[in-house]
Amino acid sequence: MPQFGFSISKPRAINLDTNDQVPAERLLQEVPELKTCIACGGCTATCTAGNLTDFNFRKMHTLVRRGEYREVYEQMDKCMLCGKCRLVCPRGINTRAVVIKIKRVLGDY
Amino acid sequence: MAYYDSFVIPFLAGTVFMFAVIAWKWCRWIWLLPSEDKRAISKGVFTSATPKAVWEVISESLLHRKIFRVNPLLGYMHMSLAFGWFLLIVVGWIEAAVELGAGTPLHAHVFFRYFDPGAHAGGNPFATVMDLLLLMVLSGVVLAWFKRVRSRAMGMKRTTRHVLVDRVALTALWFVFPLRLAAESFMAAIKHNGGFLTGGLGDLIAAHMDPAVIAGVNSVLWWLYSFALGTFFVAMPFSRYMHIFTEIPLIFLRRYKVRSGDHTKSFDNFQIQACSRCGICIDPCQLQRDLGIGDVQSVYFLRDRRYGRLSDKVLDNCLMCGRCEVKCPVGIELNTLRSNSRQERVDSPALTRYDYLKGTDRSSGSGRVGYFAGCMTLLTPVTLRSMERIFAAAGEDVWWADRDGASCCGRPLKLSGEVNAARRIMEYNKEQFAAHGISTLVTSCPICLKVFREDYALEGIEVLHHTEYILRLLEQGRIALNAGDTVYTYHDPCELGRGSGIYDEPRQILGMAGKLVEPEHSRSDAMCCGSSLANTVIDDGQQLRIGAAMTTELERTGAGCIVTACPLCKKAIVRNATLPVADISQIVAERLQVSGT
Repeated sequence: MPQFGFSISKPRAINLDTNDQVPAERLLQEVPELKTCIACGGCTATCTAGNLTDFNFRKMHTLVRRGEYREVYEQMDKCMLCGKCRLVCPRGINTRAVVIKIKRVLGDY
Repeated sequence: MAYYDSFVIPFLAGTVFMFAVIAWKWCRWIWLLPSEDKRAISKGVFTSATPKAVWEVISESLLHRKIFRVNPLLGYMHMSLAFGWFLLIVVGWIEAAVELGAGTPLHAHVFFRYFDPGAHAGGNPFATVMDLLLLMVLSGVVLAWFKRVRSRAMGMKRTTRHVLVDRVALTALWFVFPLRLAAESFMAAIKHNGGFLTGGLGDLIAAHMDPAVIAGVNSVLWWLYSFALGTFFVAMPFSRYMHIFTEIPLIFLRRYKVRSGDHTKSFDNFQIQACSRCGICIDPCQLQRDLGIGDVQSVYFLRDRRYGRLSDKVLDNCLMCGRCEVKCPVGIELNTLRSNSRQERVDSPALTRYDYLKGTDRSSGSGRVGYFAGCMTLLTPVTLRSMERIFAAAGEDVWWADRDGASCCGRPLKLSGEVNAARRIMEYNKEQFAAHGISTLVTSCPICLKVFREDYALEGIEVLHHTEYILRLLEQGRIALNAGDTVYTYHDPCELGRGSGIYDEPRQILGMAGKLVEPEHSRSDAMCCGSSLANTVIDDGQQLRIGAAMTTELERTGAGCIVTACPLCKKAIVRNATLPVADISQIVAERLQVSGT
């Protein structure tokens, strides 16, 4: 099959009632402007690490906000904090703080 | 004991306590120094560094010359207290040695007027000198009071808010000299041993008061004076006044080339406790000036770190623009200390973290010159295009390190404290540079420049910012510019100017292209654009306000075009400017002389 560089996500169910929302709420407390994210994906399109790997920042912070944390920390470790995403974000979200806070609420310190 | 009176006990107890604490601190800090620092000290002691350090102690710890440059009145205040008090001690010691003979106890020197045997035929020249010195110190105390009320008159818009122990020490210090004046004047009323000041006041007191009252007040005053001194000495090692003694070893260690680094170490203590909390770092801070954030400045950061109560809010909320560092009269490495505090908090070994970088080489071209645009330059493609044109015009063969995407330089991670992780990225980039056999590395991003120069240790590769490289091409005649009559103003990026000391190269290039006008704050005093990667706390609106204030200043110059040499600064200025904004490479590319014309 030809590879076009994209794929379709597998169907799955998200149970917001059973997911642990505490880290997600802490993240939104620390960076409230993340609530204004329109999921445009500009951050991911410009991402230095995303250009070299499958790292997808939009996916990661969306997962965290849903209370799904599996592999997020390991993925976030790919970020180099260069800050391009912050410059392109149309909502002016402090994306570098989002990166740092996600790692912090998921266990850095 | 000779020359003893029970009122000296508070003074003696305070003195013994103070010196014991200081000796304990110093010995501990020096003992804990890493061995390379100890080697640096032993190497430096018998060199010219030592006499230079002695001179620096005189000119900074006593005369406070750097503070005179901030404001003459402020300088005089610090000098009169430091140098005046120092002379009071020295001259007092000489006088006591002359009058009482050598070997008299310490308190007999300090409270000499009390123990003075008297009978100075034809007046005492020492008393005149001592009164003059006391007057000098008192004038400093008056200025210190005045500064509390009207700091602006002394060149400071804002002053430090002090903690309790500082207030106790400060109050005691304010009382020490007026009490000394009062005690010596009453003593002069009894013994007639004063100079023009204490003697004059003493005569007045003797003429208007009952001798029994004078004697009573006199003994109370000496007690109070001794108590004020004792209180100050006990509070001193735990307060900001620890700087008085700490700045001296700091100057020597600095002269022996001991520096703070990426990781916290014992030497940091000398820097942290040498901070006098004078507050000169507060006014230059744009977080204070433009955003009204008043509790994160270097003085508060050092204070909180010293007392072990540093919060993330204080630690992270700093642009690390370095405006305070160049103003610090003690020369403390403020950015380095903040960086290594961040490192200590967050850093993890990160052994495999950036292994994914291996095999992602997308570089193109080949040549002895490598060009590393940097992440931010990739977001300002006009800079990249301009550099392509300049390289082509100069006929340079270029290895394009990251035109099609590549790793970050590592500095943003380092600024956030993740030094080990940044090190992984640096190692990868170093391998890349070596593998492609370049001898010159040109970058358009001052953030990359700084980390390449300071952390990469690139042997055999010269690292240049594109301003330096372009100027070199111009000087070698490999490219030439069509001069025009456009008026430019230049914004010094923090990482390029204060960070890497590059001020003249961009100005020389602009001088060849047109006319240059300077903004109100330029060179080492230049404003930060507010987008600094070192700050992860302020939001977009706050960045915008800092950028707007700084852009307004650039537009006030009346220039027709704002030029800078950092992609991040450029983005910040563009958001606020009404004038055209350009990277310096853009100006050069536009004005390149095509050969044959």
